[in-house]
Amino acid sequence: MAVVEVDNLRYRYPRQTTLALDGISFTAEAGEFVGIVGPNLSGKSTLCHALIGLVPHFYKGAIGGRVVVAGLDVHATPVAEMSRRVGLVFQNPFTQITGAKLTVYEEVAFGLEYTGVPREEMVPRIEEALRLLGLWELRDRSPFALSGGQMQRLAIASVLAMKPRVLVLDEPTSQLDPAGTREVFDAVAALCRQGITVIMAEHKIELLAEHANRLLVLHQGRLVADGTPRDVLTRAVRGELENEPAPAPPVTEAAAALGWTMPEGGFPVTLAEAVAVGRAVMAGDSEAKSR
Amino acid sequence: MRVSLYVPADTWLHRLDPMTKLLMAAAGVALTFVLARLESGAVLLAIFLTALGTGRVLRQAGSVFAGVGIIAATFLIVQGLVHPTNATPLIIFGPVVFYKEGLLIGLRLALRLYNILSATLILVLATNPADLTEALVRRGAPARLGYVIMSVLQIIPTMVAQSAAITDAQRSRGMETEGSLWVRMKAFLPLMGPLVTSSLIATEERALALEVRGFGSSARPTFLKPEVRPPHAGLVRFLCVLTLAAGVAGRLLFGW
Amino acid sequence: MSAVIEARNVHFHYTPGVPVLSDITLTIGPGATAIIGQNGAGKSTFVRLLNGLLKPVSGTVLVNGVDTRTQTVASLARTVGLVFQNPADQLFKSRVIDEVMFGPLNLGFSRDEAETRAREALAQVGLKGVETRNPYDLGLAERKLVTIASVLAMGTSVIIPDEPTIAQDHAGVRRLGAIVDELAAAGRTVITITHDMNFVARHFRRVVVFGQGRVLADGDAASVFSRPDILHQTGLEAPQITRLAQALALGETPLTVEQFVVLVRRRLTGSS
Repeated sequence: MAVVEVDNLRYRYPRQTTLALDGISFTAEAGEFVGIVGPNLSGKSTLCHALIGLVPHFYKGAIGGRVVVAGLDVHATPVAEMSRRVGLVFQNPFTQITGAKLTVYEEVAFGLEYTGVPREEMVPRIEEALRLLGLWELRDRSPFALSGGQMQRLAIASVLAMKPRVLVLDEPTSQLDPAGTREVFDAVAALCRQGITVIMAEHKIELLAEHANRLLVLHQGRLVADGTPRDVLTRAVRGELENEPAPAPPVTEAAAALGWTMPEGGFPVTLAEAVAVGRAVMAGDSEAKSR
Repeated sequence: MRVSLYVPADTWLHRLDPMTKLLMAAAGVALTFVLARLESGAVLLAIFLTALGTGRVLRQAGSVFAGVGIIAATFLIVQGLVHPTNATPLIIFGPVVFYKEGLLIGLRLALRLYNILSATLILVLATNPADLTEALVRRGAPARLGYVIMSVLQIIPTMVAQSAAITDAQRSRGMETEGSLWVRMKAFLPLMGPLVTSSLIATEERALALEVRGFGSSARPTFLKPEVRPPHAGLVRFLCVLTLAAGVAGRLLFGW
Repeated sequence: MSAVIEARNVHFHYTPGVPVLSDITLTIGPGATAIIGQNGAGKSTFVRLLNGLLKPVSGTVLVNGVDTRTQTVASLARTVGLVFQNPADQLFKSRVIDEVMFGPLNLGFSRDEAETRAREALAQVGLKGVETRNPYDLGLAERKLVTIASVLAMGTSVIIPDEPTIAQDHAGVRRLGAIVDELAAAGRTVITITHDMNFVARHFRRVVVFGQGRVLADGDAASVFSRPDILHQTGLEAPQITRLAQALALGETPLTVEQFVVLVRRRLTGSS
């Protein structure tokens, strides 16, 4: 059984006439890294919020279809209950610091305290989450004395300590510098290897292409593509997707213009792939020239 | 980075647990209303100021006192001018006469204001709002109430910081804000609306982040750190109750 | 309509003993200049010195030859328009149109002129039909566009957007790029802080790299991006297409996909 099952999800915010989500269907398995891309206002955030139940429980509005995450029917389960199985990390690292705790260590404990986890269990969970996100050495520091990247990692650690099976991140790197961005992507990819399903809405297509094994493309509330980065981005640079022009990594656009295809079909989507294909092309070319 | 009125330090006052300080504030406010005489009010204020002073938060308390100075002055002026029992002129500025009876009453009112303020500041300046919330939640207060208290205490300093940032942005777009008090006040008024809006949005974002950390959970909360009451808390609590009892007795027996 | 900004041996700190900027000497003239570097390198502090919000602890900042120490921020705002990174630090009117008109009105334009400029600026950033809405009813990306429009409407000869591409989607970034190109072509001085290397490579003639409060590199984009060692010191990498060209040892530093494609075709059809 898939960890995430979304079936014909439709949603309209209160006082709006258009649907924010219009018939979204997809599934995700354990350990998958699913990237959600699309222009602003295409429904990425709404979809993220729908996976934990903030849509509809917090935002109200009209909802239809089915969303089942880690075995729980999201529409029928309170958010506090969902938060034991699903974690959500937001765009702004600063507003995710509760302001209620004096150290990084205690900050991670916050969610555990409010969901009634026994103290003996709290301690190993906190340590695990902090070590996984590379924050163990900073555990005594004030949460406000961290850099943006560190703060975002703290938000992830805090959510991770609740031991979710699914981690949803809504444009988590938009306020971060390139080093902080890489830290977040690396940390999240490590979580996938541990079996956690990661769903990340992002604009940074180069990094998504590198780390994700699935891409969902949203356009005006509809899902217009669902496949591996190779499939989706190849179709994107060929102009086959509804949202025109669809963003793709520069190396993929260059490969499309030059006709550099991967042996198994499609265009390279990462730097490493493009280098491999490029070297093969240039080696073949110089060989041809020397004959 | 301070996001509340709380002033971190390591003093006997800070080391007290939040419930004891809550008791001190409550006893202080109660005494303010129990005691009737001007002299009693002054003694009470002296006690509060000593507590604030030894707690090393006197300077911050001073800023708050200065902030309400206008209200205190209003008491003196209004009562001094027009209180019904006014009979003895004390200060005369041409046609304007301040009477002794009214001034004394105004002084008592001002003293009461500062006493209530000081008692509350003993709690607010020396207690981390998070600790206070946790103490209340441990005793069964709903978690959401605790968060509301915390938000309220955190909101004002955040808005102050933000208004400074917005003022910088206004100067960067050609608005002269340097100058007389009047110019600066005129510049500040339009900021109040957006400051509130933006605080509300930040509060909503925080609320969402808390929701997804199980904040609304119906489970009974557990706590990472065991509750700690320092040895002198018992003595302080005893003194609070004793002082309150003495105040009530004194009022009933001697009209303090 | 050209302006020159000069920093001479500028040192700055907020608390003594903790330097934020050390010995910065730069002259920036018309055209598009990008300032890049990791967070904490002093970039935002530096641009606040350029419009007078901060004054150097030692050294001088000159705007068209005038020392910023002798001017108020408001008077420097006639020449230097700074867009803050966080819209919440800037927005204070309840209607978008009023927010965008604020700057021009302060500069002395009549209400009609200010309104015309505001509408043009909003059109330039791609915001349509939002004039009477509350900026806080718009999403974060649109709020950022409102703040950019607010400064564009002022028509200053120097425009300094601090991280304009944050939260923008690809269409938004493209539009910002077009604006940078237009302004640079018109002889204005555009100084942008950004983390988007593709955006830098495509639209900025000159790149200044900040690291630990100092200028680590200063030159045209191609030469800066061919120095991975310097970029690494401040947590940066060259644009992806440039790194591809470097890995394939193509010998040149293409900055865009188009340049890369041309370069490769030349290499492949060139005689051996």
